[in-house]
Amino acid sequence: MNSFKFLVYCTAFLVYVTGYAQQNQDTSKSYKKRILETTEVDFLTSYYSQEGDNAAVSGGLGSEELTDFTGTIIVSVPLNDDDVLTIDAGVSAYTSASSSNVDPFDGGQSADPFVASSGASSSDVWTNLTGSYSHSSDDRNTIVSGKLSISSEYDYFSFGFGGGLSKLFNEKNTEVSINANVYLDTWTSIYPTELRPFTSGANGLENGFFSNKTITGNTNYNPSFENFEDETRNSYSLGFGFSQILSKNLQGSLALDFVQQEGLLSTPFQRVYFADVADSFIENFQLADAIEHLPDTRFKVAAGGRLNWYVSETFVLRTYYRYYFDDWGINSHTASVELPIKLSDKFTVYPSYRYYQQSKADYFYKFEEALSTETYYTSDYDLSKYSANQFGMGVSYTDIFTKMHIWKLGLKSIDLKFYQYDRDTTFSSRIITAGFKFVMD
Amino acid sequence: MIKKVLIYTMIAVFFSSCTVLKEYDKVNINDPDMTLQDKKCDRNVITMHSYREAAVGANGGKTGGGCGCN
Repeated sequence: MNSFKFLVYCTAFLVYVTGYAQQNQDTSKSYKKRILETTEVDFLTSYYSQEGDNAAVSGGLGSEELTDFTGTIIVSVPLNDDDVLTIDAGVSAYTSASSSNVDPFDGGQSADPFVASSGASSSDVWTNLTGSYSHSSDDRNTIVSGKLSISSEYDYFSFGFGGGLSKLFNEKNTEVSINANVYLDTWTSIYPTELRPFTSGANGLENGFFSNKTITGNTNYNPSFENFEDETRNSYSLGFGFSQILSKNLQGSLALDFVQQEGLLSTPFQRVYFADVADSFIENFQLADAIEHLPDTRFKVAAGGRLNWYVSETFVLRTYYRYYFDDWGINSHTASVELPIKLSDKFTVYPSYRYYQQSKADYFYKFEEALSTETYYTSDYDLSKYSANQFGMGVSYTDIFTKMHIWKLGLKSIDLKFYQYDRDTTFSSRIITAGFKFVMD
Repeated sequence: MIKKVLIYTMIAVFFSSCTVLKEYDKVNINDPDMTLQDKKCDRNVITMHSYREAAVGANGGKTGGGCGCN
């Protein structure tokens, strides 16, 4: 309900701003070519599902089932010939077997890492609002932009701001850009339910939580646990871009991003099981020995390049490659290729393939491999060594005359895409996305 | 070794062929499928990758912040 209200308020605000901008357009006395001819509205939606057997919430062994539904509206409003305001509002709602096992003892059924619980942590809603503003110089060779964003979910809040500068040269054949972004985030830490009685000053096994439960295996359950004192996470990024037209049919770009993160980089509800600690169970669920502990800083570097080739009136070849490394010991390669095929002036299909591989983080241990003497440890398989293949297919419909109308909005294009993603582990996922682009009369 | 060759080749291609096309020569370059970024409808796919993979950045997507991922 709150999400619905959020979307209604955002839409009302956007309609108001749009009306204001349209009035301003009428009184404009400049004859420069506008950066954006009229207001554009994009509706994006997606449905995502995944499964696997290596849930981080249950220490690297358990169900990773998750579904997510996302809805987003993006409105770009030309304020005058040179300036564009863009408002981006989105909601994402998920249900997750994995996160439901933050509390696997909800009494509904026997606790088990492969069985979803019905507790509060089984679902959440993420909401986001981003406003960005760009200004282009009279000769259109300089573009300055800035943005503000907020996003919120039950245990996480984020405030972000940033800006960018682009310069075009060689009759707009060459572009260089720089951008910087800062995100100031805050966790509301949620810990695995069986660890909470072991918070400093709490009464451990004497706590009421254990009063109606039978511990099997090591009955002297005594985990290593302290609350995180610092619940902030700050991210600072600096990016450089360069693009070049290489011929009438070929253009490419290079990008280089640096990211520094500080603060709570561990996820507070992800369990770890030690190899040198005897196992304790309640029902079929192994009680946590600890939660993951990761360093409080991380430095990431990503360098990527794109090369697009207009092969013919029917085919375009789009390629992308990225190399990434960080100071947690991960390096990775990403390569993708997409081949848009124009079937007619209205329909294009988009077959694609993407390959991804990464090495493991220095602090990653499989289920029950970490030692309690280590300083840092995690069993989050997203930080493990793996490779993944992704196959995609999409179709787009474009009507440059925007004949179909909803209110004052003319439908310009519809995009539908499907992607299947498979790791060389048990993990796989799929996503279907749709985008509807409208322009205002 | 292969990485170095690829990097040097890309740099050589970029800086040796800085053709200056006039606007009327950019018909093919201005094709919507030639844009040097992902389509808007792919945004949630990039977000999914940033949740599930360690690598982020250099693709126009977010590089951190805004969610518990990365």
